[in-house]
Amino acid sequence: MDEQMAVKAAAGGAPSRMRRFRLGREFGVFVALVVLCVALTLLNDRFLTPTNLLNIGRQVSLMGIMAVGMTFVLVSGEVDLSVGSTYGLCGIAVGVLLVAGYPLALAIAAGLVLGAGIGLINGVLSTYLRVPSLIATLGTLSMVRGAALILTDGKPVTVNARNGVGEADLAMFEFLGQGKVLGIPMQLAFFIVIALAGWFLLSRTSFGFRIFAVGGSAKAARVSGINVASVKIWALTLMGTLAALAGTLSLAFLPSGQAGRMGLGLELDVIAATIVGGTTLAGGEGTILGTVLGVLIIGVLRNGLVLTGVSPFAQEFLIGLVIVVAVAIDKWSTSSKSN
Amino acid sequence: MEHLIQVELTGLNRPTKVNREKTKMRRLVTQLAAAAACIAGTAGGALAEPVNISDFNLNPRIAAKIAAGEELNIYVSYPDVSNEFAPFVLEGVARADAMDGITATVIGPVGPDADLQIDQIETLLDTMDGLAIASVSTDALAPLLNRMIDEGIPVIAYNTDNPASKRLVFAGQDLVQSGREAGKLMGEVLGKGKVIITTLNAAAQWSLDREQGAREGLAAFPDIEVVSTLNTGTEPQEIYGAIENAMLANPDVTGILSLECCSTPAAGTWVERNDAKGRVHVVGFDLLDLTVDHIADGYIDATIDQDPERQGFEAVNLLAQFLHGETIDDIDTGVKIYTSANIDELK
Repeated sequence: MDEQMAVKAAAGGAPSRMRRFRLGREFGVFVALVVLCVALTLLNDRFLTPTNLLNIGRQVSLMGIMAVGMTFVLVSGEVDLSVGSTYGLCGIAVGVLLVAGYPLALAIAAGLVLGAGIGLINGVLSTYLRVPSLIATLGTLSMVRGAALILTDGKPVTVNARNGVGEADLAMFEFLGQGKVLGIPMQLAFFIVIALAGWFLLSRTSFGFRIFAVGGSAKAARVSGINVASVKIWALTLMGTLAALAGTLSLAFLPSGQAGRMGLGLELDVIAATIVGGTTLAGGEGTILGTVLGVLIIGVLRNGLVLTGVSPFAQEFLIGLVIVVAVAIDKWSTSSKSN
Repeated sequence: MEHLIQVELTGLNRPTKVNREKTKMRRLVTQLAAAAACIAGTAGGALAEPVNISDFNLNPRIAAKIAAGEELNIYVSYPDVSNEFAPFVLEGVARADAMDGITATVIGPVGPDADLQIDQIETLLDTMDGLAIASVSTDALAPLLNRMIDEGIPVIAYNTDNPASKRLVFAGQDLVQSGREAGKLMGEVLGKGKVIITTLNAAAQWSLDREQGAREGLAAFPDIEVVSTLNTGTEPQEIYGAIENAMLANPDVTGILSLECCSTPAAGTWVERNDAKGRVHVVGFDLLDLTVDHIADGYIDATIDQDPERQGFEAVNLLAQFLHGETIDDIDTGVKIYTSANIDELK
């Protein structure tokens, strides 16, 4: 297949990768990101420094890990509003288990299974029980946040030696959140790996094909023999697992978490970044590359507005404005092309 | 520690930088504790007149319950029962709940939602024999609180005052004054330099009050400049990221003054992660676990405690006293300052 594509491309019979990228939804997002970066570089000499770029990379990583999962969910035609709560509950559950003396591997595995379980429940609710995912996950958003508060009685969970966490487990846990690999912060390293794996899964496997098919037209997918419910459940389970991973890495970075605040409102950032990256709420369209670019736009904007000294109230306004403008431009360019 | 004290006492060796810092900090704690004691001693009664049930048109339903010696239902409404500060307040309410003749119940929204706080109170109005409230929004809650007072249901404010309402008294910290103390602390620690002020919600009334006080406190130090107020948001990663960005944007900042519980430990963590101990000084509020650890390790210079457990207890106790005929007055829970010199008291 690759060989055939290469021959076609060489003969000019198929669009080259660069041409496909230029034609794709990602191009507009990429241009917007470049314009933003150039503007911030001109406005502040500290923007384009290795330290700041690594800071941005790390700061967007957890949102990015979840945005990869959200891409699968949105492309499949569903939405998950419970990710911020899942992030909080699973991160805190890992912390509670560590403080209770359980080994690190078991605590992290339990956190991930918990996240997957929440995703599975969301999937079953929105498919077999036919509760729209918007409503189902709105319900689990509240239930999961409540569970985290019940688990901790509203008190912060701090993972440190003073609270009885073993030295070796603590060192490894801190490395997962605060360490570096080849100079890259671990959170960013996780994001890169997850994004690459997500790209492969969505664009190079039959599962990815089924996600697009189900999101494009569930009826047509069903007629083609695709188990629509199963595909959607897997997408939401993947989302829950990635939210749990992000929550765990969050607690590993800042070793104190509180159920009322951890991940609060994060679902809106995650969905906004994914949509800014070109994924549609209607389903059937979206790419991991676009999502990564969308995540970077939000991250660069947040970073840049602070660097340039914009007032905190104006920051909120401008971030909202950029999200609206980015999606409007995307919609306009898409309808122009189709016309 | 013993070694350090010995060095200071004997004077045989030149004091190290660490020793000098500790000595300076101890002196500072002593001075500010004295100042705080003065404030605590004089602030009571400054905000409201003492009030007795004989001056109050008590609701007949409540009067009948008191006459019959029935258990009185006191509700304590907290603006966000899911935040870090809430468990400490709730501990105080639980202590008060053990008093004879009183049932104390905590209510409040998850997340600072004024509408939800109002809805909960209205739902329980017919069973309420007294309400202690820390309002999400003073203006939004004031009409309801005034209506309750008019209906003869006693209302007091705790933790966050509601001066726009006819509440009977207030139990809590004077927010402007505690901000002033934080400003003075930062001034004493820093001497000169640039400061950023951090807050979870720059628009909230408590934050505006503390910021006003902090700026007033810092104004006494002409060589200190406040660069900006940083609105960090409430999510922990968001808070840390905001501080990280602000410190990169302003590398000449040498002081971080946090106005609340939650950006204080994040600022300490930034100092720890960036080897900035001694170069960047942090003053903040409250006693979260990580704040206590960071003070012990020297990443945070000082924090101001507002005794939230006592606030929760007094919220109920004041109403119980009022309903049982005692005259009640404002209570200032004061400021208690913790530094590396006295943080061991908590361990």
